[in-house]
Amino acid sequence: MASAGGGAYSYSLTVFSPSGKLVQIEHALAAVSQGTTSLGIKASNGIVIATEKKSSSILMDDSMIEKVAVVCPNIGLVYSGMGPDFRLLVTKARKSAQAYWKIHGEYPPTKVLTQEIATIMQEATQSGGVRPYGVSLLVAGWDITRGPSLYQVDPSGSFWAWKASAIGKNMVNAKTFLEKRYNDDISLEDAIHTALLTLKEGFEGQMTEKTIEIGIITVPSLEELEAGKVEGTGRYKPTFRKLSEEEIRDYLAL
Amino acid sequence: MSIMEYNGGSVIAMVGKNCVAIASDLRLGVQSLGIASNFQKIFPVTDRIFVGLPGLATDVTTLHEQFRYRVNMYTIKEEREIEPETFAALVSSTLYERRFGPYFIEPVIAGMQRTPSGSYKPFIAATDLIGCLNFAKDFVVAGTASDKLFGVAEGLWEEDLGPEDLFETISQTMLNAVDRDTNSGWGVVVHLLTKDKVITRTLKGRMD
Amino acid sequence: MNSVYSGPGFDFANTARNSFLESRGLPLPKATSTGTTIVGCLFKDGIVLGADTRATTGPIVADKNCEKIHFIADNIRCCGAGTAADTEFSTALIASNIEMHALSTGRKPRVVTAMTMLKQMLFRYQGNIGAALVLGGVDADGPHLFTIHPHGSTDKLPYVTMGSGSLAAMAVFESGWKQNMTREEALDLVTAAVSAGIFNDLGSGSNVDACVITASHTEMLRNFVKPNERVQKERSYKFARGTTAWKKEDIRDLIITEDITVIREGEAMDIS
Repeated sequence: MASAGGGAYSYSLTVFSPSGKLVQIEHALAAVSQGTTSLGIKASNGIVIATEKKSSSILMDDSMIEKVAVVCPNIGLVYSGMGPDFRLLVTKARKSAQAYWKIHGEYPPTKVLTQEIATIMQEATQSGGVRPYGVSLLVAGWDITRGPSLYQVDPSGSFWAWKASAIGKNMVNAKTFLEKRYNDDISLEDAIHTALLTLKEGFEGQMTEKTIEIGIITVPSLEELEAGKVEGTGRYKPTFRKLSEEEIRDYLAL
Repeated sequence: MSIMEYNGGSVIAMVGKNCVAIASDLRLGVQSLGIASNFQKIFPVTDRIFVGLPGLATDVTTLHEQFRYRVNMYTIKEEREIEPETFAALVSSTLYERRFGPYFIEPVIAGMQRTPSGSYKPFIAATDLIGCLNFAKDFVVAGTASDKLFGVAEGLWEEDLGPEDLFETISQTMLNAVDRDTNSGWGVVVHLLTKDKVITRTLKGRMD
Repeated sequence: MNSVYSGPGFDFANTARNSFLESRGLPLPKATSTGTTIVGCLFKDGIVLGADTRATTGPIVADKNCEKIHFIADNIRCCGAGTAADTEFSTALIASNIEMHALSTGRKPRVVTAMTMLKQMLFRYQGNIGAALVLGGVDADGPHLFTIHPHGSTDKLPYVTMGSGSLAAMAVFESGWKQNMTREEALDLVTAAVSAGIFNDLGSGSNVDACVITASHTEMLRNFVKPNERVQKERSYKFARGTTAWKKEDIRDLIITEDITVIREGEAMDIS
C-alpha cells in the first residue's frame, strides 16, 4: 500500500515516519524543485525578484500568465512550483495585507506579511484532509523599520531572510552562481543584470521579455520619506512594481 | 443627562514647539456625587505616547486593558514600538468595530512621532465614541467640559509654544474650564512630552 | 493579525448593556457628524468634486479643517456627509475592496463598481450606516458622477449636492450650471456652490476642498479657498512662567546614560 516513496507514511501527512520525517512535505518540496526557476537579489538600494515564464506550447497565450504578483504597494511575490497553489496564496496574502491596513492605516511590514503567509502554509501541514502547498515563495518588500527585505517561504511553513536566493528547478546551480556574483554593495541596476544572467544559466530556449517576469523594490530616498504621503490620497508612493515588457526588453538588450 | 456625563471627567491635548502636552482632571463621580479625586484617565502607551480616556468609568478600565493588550501584541509581533499615528488608527478601528454597541469613551491621543530622519515631531488626535479621527494641528478636547475647553483653548492657544509655556497654557485652560463644569475637576494632572523627557505635574485646583 | 484582528463585521456585545442604560433614562450620546456641503459637477474633460471642511457634534464645531473628499482609487474619489465615522470607514472599506479588485482583474477600477459596492453595503445595513455620499471619477467609459443615499439608493446626474448645505449649493448649480464647461468654469462653480453652503448653512463652514479628475490626472486641491482664516491675534496670551502652582512633579529622562566606574584594577581571584 502506497509504497512509492514514503511507504505507509506517505498518505497521512500529519503522521511522522519513524525517521522523523513528514514525507508529504518532502513530496511538496519535490514539486517545487520541478517548478521553473525563480530568484531574488537584495541590492543596496532595492530588491529584484525574477522568474522564468515557460509555456508548454507555442499555441498558449502567455500574456495571461502572471508569476510575479503585487500583494500591496510595498510587497511583491514570486514562486516556484504549482501555479494554482500560488494563486490561492496570493489572494490570501492580499486579503491579509488589506485587513492589516484597515486596522493600522498602513500596509504590513515585510516580515509580518511573510509570517502571515508562512502561518497559512504551516496550517496545511498539520490539518486533516488537506495537502501542503506545492510552492516555495520569494517575498520582496520594503518597510520603514527594516528597509528592503527578501524572504523565502517553503511548503513546511518555515521562512528565512536572504541576501540572494533561488528556488525551483535550477536552484542549486543558480545559488552557486549567485554566491559567486553577490556582494553587499551591489546596486539595483547591477542586481537586475545579475538576475538575468543567473536565469540565463539554466534557461531552455530563448530568453525574451515574453518569457521572463521581473519585479522590483525601490528604496525611497530620505527626501521622499520626509515628504510623506501623496497629497489627498492618504497613501505613500508604492515601492514595489513589476517591470513592463518594454523595460525588460531594454535590460535584455544591454 | 447622557451616559457620557454619568461619571464626569475631561481631557485636553495641545501641540507646542517640539513638544506636546496632555491634561485631565482627577474626578470620579456618580452624577453629582463625588467619589474619588485620584481617578486616572490618562495612560502611558509607550515612552512617547499617552492616551486619555474620558467617559464612562467602567469603559475607561475596559478600553485601557483592551489597548494595552493590542499594543503589547503589536510590539511582540512587529518587534518595534507603535508610533502615535498607527496607535491612533488602532484606537479608531477598535472603536468602530463596536459601531452599533459603542464604548462610551472619547479617546485623546498625544505623542511624539518619529520622523524618517530620526527626530521627533508632536502628534495629537482625538476620536468620537465610534472612532472618527480628528487630527488637529493645535489642540483637541473631550469629556464633560469639552465645550468650555474649546472656548478657553481657542482663546489661549498660540503657535510654537515651548515646553514651559505650553505647560502654563494647557494648565490654565484646563483649570479654568473645569471650574465651570460641575462634573469635572477635583484636581488636574498634566503630562508634558519632549523628545527626550516626560514631565508629569499634579496641579493645585479647586476641590469643590 | 489573528491576535488583534477579531474577524470581519461589527461586534454587538455592548448593545444589551447600552440599551439597558438607555432604558434607565441615560440617552445615547451623539457621534461626530459632518453637517456638510458636498457637491460634484460634470465638465468637458471630467469631474470636479467639492466639499467644506467643518465637522460638528451637535452645535459644537468639532474639527475646523477635516477632509471630506476620500480616496477610493487614483481615478475615483468620494465625498462624504452624515455620520463622520461611517463616511470614513465605508469609503475606506470600498477603497480597500477596489484595490483588491484592481489587483485581481489587472484593470483600472470603474466608478460603477465602487458605486455598486457602496450601495449594496449601505442597503445591507438598512440605513443604520449614516453615510450620504457623492462619488465621482473617470474610467474606461468616461466621467461618472453619482449620489448614494444612506439606504442605498443612487442617482446619476451631471451636477449633484448632498448634506445639510445641499439646498444652498443646489441653488447655485441650478442657476449657473451649463453643458461642456471648461475646467476653470467648473472649478469656479463648485467653489461658489460649496461657499453658498459654508456661508448659509450652519452645519457647513471653514474652507473649500476641491478635486479635479480627468482621464489622465487627478488633482486634489486641499483648502483650495480659505475664506475663513483666523487672523493673527492682536496680542499674545502667554502666561508668565510660574503662573500655575503644582503639588507634585515627576521628570522621566528618556535618554538613558550609564557611567562605568572602575573601583580597583582587577587582582586575580584567590583560589588557593
